[in-house]
Amino acid sequence: MKRILAVLVLLLLAALTLACSEQQTPVDEARQQQLAQIVIAYGQTLTSAEPCAPCDGTSAAPGQVQLPPVNPRQVTGDIIAAGSSTVFPLAERMAERFRAEGYTGNITIDSIGSGAGFERFCTAGETDISNASRPIKEKEIENCRKIGREPVEFRVGTDALAVVVNPENDWVENLSMEELAAAFATAETWSDIHPNWPDQPIQRFIPGTDSGTFDYFVEEVFDKDPEPILSTSHLQMSEDDNVLVQGVEGSKYAIGFFGYAFYGENQERLKVLAIEGVIPSREHVDDGSYPLARPLFMYSAPTIMQARPQVAAFLNFVLTYVNDEIVDVGYFPASDEALNQSRQNWLDVMGMKRP
Amino acid sequence: MSPHASTEMAPDLRKQRRWGETAIHALLFLFATLSILTTAGIVIVLFSQALRFFARPEVNLWAFLTDSAWQPQIDRFGIMVLVIATLITSVIAMIVAIPLGMMIAIYLSEYASPRTRNTLKPILEVLAGIPTVVYGYFALTFMTPLLQGIIGKDVVEIFNVAAAGIVIGILILPLVTSMAEDALSAVPDLLREAAYGLGATRLETALKVVTPAALSGLAAAFIVAVSRAIGETMIVAIAAGAGPRNFDSWSDAFHNLAIFNPFKAAETMTGHIVRISGGDISYESIDYDSLFAIGLTLFLITFALNLISRRVVKRFREVY
Repeated sequence: MKRILAVLVLLLLAALTLACSEQQTPVDEARQQQLAQIVIAYGQTLTSAEPCAPCDGTSAAPGQVQLPPVNPRQVTGDIIAAGSSTVFPLAERMAERFRAEGYTGNITIDSIGSGAGFERFCTAGETDISNASRPIKEKEIENCRKIGREPVEFRVGTDALAVVVNPENDWVENLSMEELAAAFATAETWSDIHPNWPDQPIQRFIPGTDSGTFDYFVEEVFDKDPEPILSTSHLQMSEDDNVLVQGVEGSKYAIGFFGYAFYGENQERLKVLAIEGVIPSREHVDDGSYPLARPLFMYSAPTIMQARPQVAAFLNFVLTYVNDEIVDVGYFPASDEALNQSRQNWLDVMGMKRP
Repeated sequence: MSPHASTEMAPDLRKQRRWGETAIHALLFLFATLSILTTAGIVIVLFSQALRFFARPEVNLWAFLTDSAWQPQIDRFGIMVLVIATLITSVIAMIVAIPLGMMIAIYLSEYASPRTRNTLKPILEVLAGIPTVVYGYFALTFMTPLLQGIIGKDVVEIFNVAAAGIVIGILILPLVTSMAEDALSAVPDLLREAAYGLGATRLETALKVVTPAALSGLAAAFIVAVSRAIGETMIVAIAAGAGPRNFDSWSDAFHNLAIFNPFKAAETMTGHIVRISGGDISYESIDYDSLFAIGLTLFLITFALNLISRRVVKRFREVY
């Protein structure tokens, strides 16, 4: 008797679950309607903003491309971004500000490396925005086109690679590009680079092969050939910059490199080296004398930005306010031309004329 | 129910009960097959994906087994450097866990009063409830500095195999203790009483009578513990290092036994898998395919260990 009851209860439960799942349909419909409203609201903000461009009181420097203002409070819907661990802190900061100014949706930003970011953007098609610390590759553009996405580039800033050693290291202050290549590849011990330096193996801590930071370093220092750096011994690689900091901090004979922001956060635990006599700083990045400076990007596609207004709104927001935040995050502003080009790209994608 | 009622309703009830019985029987059978199917699915995926790796033109099985470096991006596929790192961490873990675990188990089963045992055993099992990521940072932020303090900062690197191995040993200690204690307790008291009757001390009874009698259970405990140590991931990922210990040639590797040095960084099979897959790697890449080859190797090693353990248990089983 009890067993029959038990079976009945099970059946009842199953029926209930089924009924519940059916009930979800109206909820989805409501959500669809909500989305439609948002789209309309967003369109209105844009149109109402456009005629105001000439009468803009806070008009910016001449020659600067202005974007129609976005009100984050009117933006809803989720945004998914993934990619470079270098761009991550910047994207996260912009998302925070977006939320602080009233955006109530969810922004997910995954820090998985530029290559993996493009993989998710172009091959899997799961993300709206792909963060990258290197320009997109031809192969990745092809993949993107296969799923109907035409990648659009938005330059958001500039990063410098910081080459760091342990604070106890008292023999190196400066490395030439050749010495740098030796330190990360051909030299077994420090004395192999310079006879006066200690006869101790060099412990290398570098970002993983999936990161744009690694690609960039290989391109600049090893002329795009990863073989020398990958075939060394005493090599530790991680996509997690904290691991690299721990490693360099923990071993006297270590050397490592990563994005400048990460050095900024850990200044007292590490010692940064000058490259070709130039230390990484705002001044030296701006005047182009620091040899290891590189652009930071966000990528999206017209199909995404047009179908998902929240993505366009966020990118607009980023391109408008990035220079307020970027120095604080630890990077350097992109040049005015580069940033204007990004804004122009945004206007072109959204089918708007320069106001 | 009164007997009267039951006879009256008997035919009807029996029919209904059978129906319910069948349903539950079917449900349970479904779950049982589900677990088998899952296992089969995992094995099939492992094999088929690993096959894709070996089918690549740049890979060959001989290099896979004999090369002295693992760096798939530049066509070096020597699985042995990863296997050796795994073996070093596991051996260190067993050096910590077996003697300690045996001593605790002998104490608990032969010396401790039932009351002490009933308080100590649950406390020991709390160790098993600590998340392995906590153990990982324990190794990195406590064990490594401790080793550096004892042996010297120049010898012990920040990421090193020894700290990871010792902490894995602590991790599997409750497992070893618990299984060993079960094996020792299962030895009938008759044997102990006989030993005491012959004038043996408690220690002699424990070491010379009870332990040999429980050998099959103890061996099983150790082998399960080894499997656990080999498969352990988080601790090695955090504390052991983030790159395989590569060498240009095997003569370099065995020069001063550099490949076995426990105080330097190395990457185990599991550590490598978790690091490479952590970055959401590209599906078409060689790195991605190589993960399955490592996974398959890992699977074969633990599978072999399980087979051996079954053999051992059968071989040494004492029936009383």
